[in-house]
Amino acid sequence: MIRSLFEPRKIGEMAPATKLLLYFILFAWSLFVIFPIYWLLITSFKTPAAVNEGPFFLPWVDFKPSLHAWKDLFVYDLSDTMRAYFNSIVIALTATALSVFVGSLAAYSLSRIEFAPNLITILYFVVLLIGASVAIGVYKTDLWLTLAVVVALFFLLARAVGRLYTARLKNGDILFWIISQRILAPIVVVVPIYMMFQSVKLLDTHIALIITYAVVNLPIVVWLMFDFFNSIPRDLEESAQLDGATMIMTFREIVLPLSRTGLSATTLLVMIFSWNEYLFALFISTSKAQTLPILVAAMNAGERGILWWTMSVAIIIMIIPVVVMAVFLQKYISKGLLVGAVKG
Amino acid sequence: MGRLFLTPAVVLILVFSIFPLVASLILAFTRIRFSGGGFKVRFAAWRNFDKQFFGSEQFHLLGTFGPLSVLAWIVGLIASAALIWWIYRYCRSHFTVIGFIGRLITFAMALSLVWLFAATLLSGRQFGTVGTTLFYVVIGCGLQFLIGTALAFACSQHIRGNRTFRVIFFIPMMITPIGVGYIFRMLADTSKGPFANIWQWFGLGDWSWATDPWASRIFIVIADSWQWIPFVFIMMLAGFESVSKDLNEAAEIDGAGKWMTFREIIWPQVLPIAATVMLIRVIEAFKIVDLPNIMTAGGPGIATESVSLQSYYAWRSLDLGSASAIAYILLFITVVICVSFFNLVVLARVRAKP
Amino acid sequence: MVIETNNTRAVAKGISVHEFNKFYGAFHALKNMSLEVSPGEFLVLLGPSGCGKSTALRMIAGLESITSGTLMIGDQDVTDVLPKYRDIAMVFQSYALYPHKTVAENIGFPLKVAKTPKAEMEIAVKAAAEQVELGSLLDRLPGQLSGGQRQRVALARAIIRRPSVFLMDEPLSNLDAKLRGNMRAELKHMQASLGITTIYVTHDQIEAMTLAHRVAIMKDGELQQLGTPKEVYANPANLFVAGFMGSPPMNFVEGSITNGLFTAEGISLPAQQLPEMQNVTLGFRPEDCTVVEKGQGQIDAQVFTLEMTGDQSLVTFRSGDKSMVVKMPKDFEISPDSYAAIQFDSAQACFFDTSSGQRLYAQNV
Repeated sequence: MIRSLFEPRKIGEMAPATKLLLYFILFAWSLFVIFPIYWLLITSFKTPAAVNEGPFFLPWVDFKPSLHAWKDLFVYDLSDTMRAYFNSIVIALTATALSVFVGSLAAYSLSRIEFAPNLITILYFVVLLIGASVAIGVYKTDLWLTLAVVVALFFLLARAVGRLYTARLKNGDILFWIISQRILAPIVVVVPIYMMFQSVKLLDTHIALIITYAVVNLPIVVWLMFDFFNSIPRDLEESAQLDGATMIMTFREIVLPLSRTGLSATTLLVMIFSWNEYLFALFISTSKAQTLPILVAAMNAGERGILWWTMSVAIIIMIIPVVVMAVFLQKYISKGLLVGAVKG
Repeated sequence: MGRLFLTPAVVLILVFSIFPLVASLILAFTRIRFSGGGFKVRFAAWRNFDKQFFGSEQFHLLGTFGPLSVLAWIVGLIASAALIWWIYRYCRSHFTVIGFIGRLITFAMALSLVWLFAATLLSGRQFGTVGTTLFYVVIGCGLQFLIGTALAFACSQHIRGNRTFRVIFFIPMMITPIGVGYIFRMLADTSKGPFANIWQWFGLGDWSWATDPWASRIFIVIADSWQWIPFVFIMMLAGFESVSKDLNEAAEIDGAGKWMTFREIIWPQVLPIAATVMLIRVIEAFKIVDLPNIMTAGGPGIATESVSLQSYYAWRSLDLGSASAIAYILLFITVVICVSFFNLVVLARVRAKP
Repeated sequence: MVIETNNTRAVAKGISVHEFNKFYGAFHALKNMSLEVSPGEFLVLLGPSGCGKSTALRMIAGLESITSGTLMIGDQDVTDVLPKYRDIAMVFQSYALYPHKTVAENIGFPLKVAKTPKAEMEIAVKAAAEQVELGSLLDRLPGQLSGGQRQRVALARAIIRRPSVFLMDEPLSNLDAKLRGNMRAELKHMQASLGITTIYVTHDQIEAMTLAHRVAIMKDGELQQLGTPKEVYANPANLFVAGFMGSPPMNFVEGSITNGLFTAEGISLPAQQLPEMQNVTLGFRPEDCTVVEKGQGQIDAQVFTLEMTGDQSLVTFRSGDKSMVVKMPKDFEISPDSYAAIQFDSAQACFFDTSSGQRLYAQNV
């Protein structure tokens, strides 16, 4: 009896019970997704009294909407709001551009050229790095001087060391190494990064956040773009090379135009991650370079408790650009995510 | 030429990722004392780790231990037996030294986590940040995976409006975790939030979930799921859509019903994707820090503190050595669990596929 | 292929397709199609891509709904019945093998669904695999098989349930030419010995001619002609069928009929008992004519090329913008650009109404 409800009545149609169940699930989840956003939206139009006196759901019916919180942020604190907004835009855009640029170059070369770095040379480099960190950290040598010494030592002796043992890595290993950086929790590296920027007096600047975000997102870019470049047929480039194009020209004239979808998807994704990032911003930016997430979090610091109404406004202005992007470019973004994952 | 293409990425990662990683390791073995304008660095050997595992911070990282309860003994022994059986079976089959060492590490990690769980929670004591983080990872990712997959499957059916549903379901992933944290704090308010009437009806009007450890943890998991189910959803949706339509029809003609088709035909094919999605999600879940920081500040007590958050608090009290040591402990656990998962589950699935 | 004919014969059922219509929105994909397939018959649906043949097959399978019309399998009305209750098996163009299941699991899946006991299932799988000569590959995955082997797995999966109807959607089109020839013969033999009613969709007229008991030719969602391969070839009902069957296809000359005489540029033929008409097309098959000296045949034309195919020579003539092909014995020689004539038996020629495409038949006055 119940079984028959789950059997289609007509061919090409869904069984009535299945259909009902599906719609129920989809609508229920839509409600669960939308309601928090709706609540955020109406809270931003509430007066403090309307927030504190209990739950009011419908504007004009339950409570009188007021622009008071919006005024707080856009009239009285305009300079703070605009600065954070400006910082976020500059940092997210630049970091994304840097990350996508560097990352796709790396991904392209990994997908097209055989690299065979010597394992022992790499170990040698890591040992040098450890030495440098000890020197800087414990013996407080000058950061840049030490790094210069490390680089000099490396290039002087790299060949000699490389001859000791000739095991080589493959492209797959390099790729895996880059992607595996994603496993690092920001908390593991943020303290030394903080100290690095402190020692070169770059704390609380755009540059510090831009570089950090670019590096954090590099693994994603390399991963997604590697798969994308791999899916572009090689004979196009080979024919370009036969026509006499250099590698840079081939990349610019053939590969880039063909990978426009992949690039835009990756760009969007990285932009969203940079836009929303919190932990690094918390460490690295204190006032001048403060980004939007920090502005939002700062609403909590007042002695009067959390100013829910202004905080709602801050969150709304922060999520509007990305939500608009999500709605219009959802297809792109999901495509970008999928290139890598679905192929494994 | 090609070297020139690859170098910027490698240099950036070396300088801003590997160098800090190494520096962090060194910090973990030092004690830094700030005095006046400068600071002094002293070598501290294992003391930072010792403090976390056996010293004054043990309760914080691992939890409080007590005499094992009967239940703890039962669960611990059964799990240990299962793990030993697993290793034994591996040794009897296709034994390789590398495989054995890898499995031994997995085995040791699993065994210590099981007994940690038995000795703290199952014996009626508090567990520490490691336990809390694992709770977020296991329960959070499990929940996200189940719901995300179910939604993806529902959306992969031919029904009217499924484009709209897709866009709606995707939105939470775009919202900053800070925003999500505060939004859910608003929603969870038992006296002013939207569900206040419901709480009052249950007589919980004056109760605050923020004072109850389990309620707080579950609440963070709900907020985390709200944000990350879209990720699982989007990936699994693509997985379901990549299953060829012919196979569905062939199964239909062979007489299989919807459930049978799903279990026998669709699921085995999306399994490799599912494993990859799960791996990505688990990696990200171990890093959780924003939500507990925003929603509960780790409270009540340390009930909702993740390992990342603990490290952040240590840094905030200028204990850089401990902060790095804690971060390294997290890194170690993450790497062992994720690499085990990758080797034993994801690779196994990929290899099984022709 | 080893086939044990005595114990594998299934209960074949006839199929009756009555006034099938299929609409996709406003698009009329299948127009009033009616067919009767008798038990054990091998019927081929033939037509160019997009002619609705696959749609028709999928409607019979129950994968597409029937907008209007009725479908009977045996004496049962199955118009609205789900595929699993129709007692049919289908072979897909892509074979649709389950990639994560071994050959044995693939073949046994229909029985597994039907909850057949394990021991019984194993025997049946072995038997089916033996029938298609896959006995040694039972533990392989489809990914490890060659195209022909995959095709056999798909066949075995279809025959294991002893369905009363077999549906095949271009099953041979993914194989290379040589293998296709072998599989064609095996398919035909298997169908004959199993005696299962079969509907087979293809766009390849050679497959249709060699396999079918009867061929149904379709175009733009409409059934053009239904008949045995011989009938369809010798007596095409319209221009489309005439042009579609045969390789190289029938030669066409456009002209008109007046006073019992077909006239076109430089041609005049007796066309007795045919109605007078302005636009008429004359058709004759390349193998029904020969090349003769200029002036001695019905049509004078210039030789364009001579192609050797091994067993015969194809002479292509050009006259104005139309070309005509004549099949000649393999040792026939003629130099390109020379002038010659085509001679054919006017009794073998067909006439068609150019505007409607319909065949013009002699009226017995």
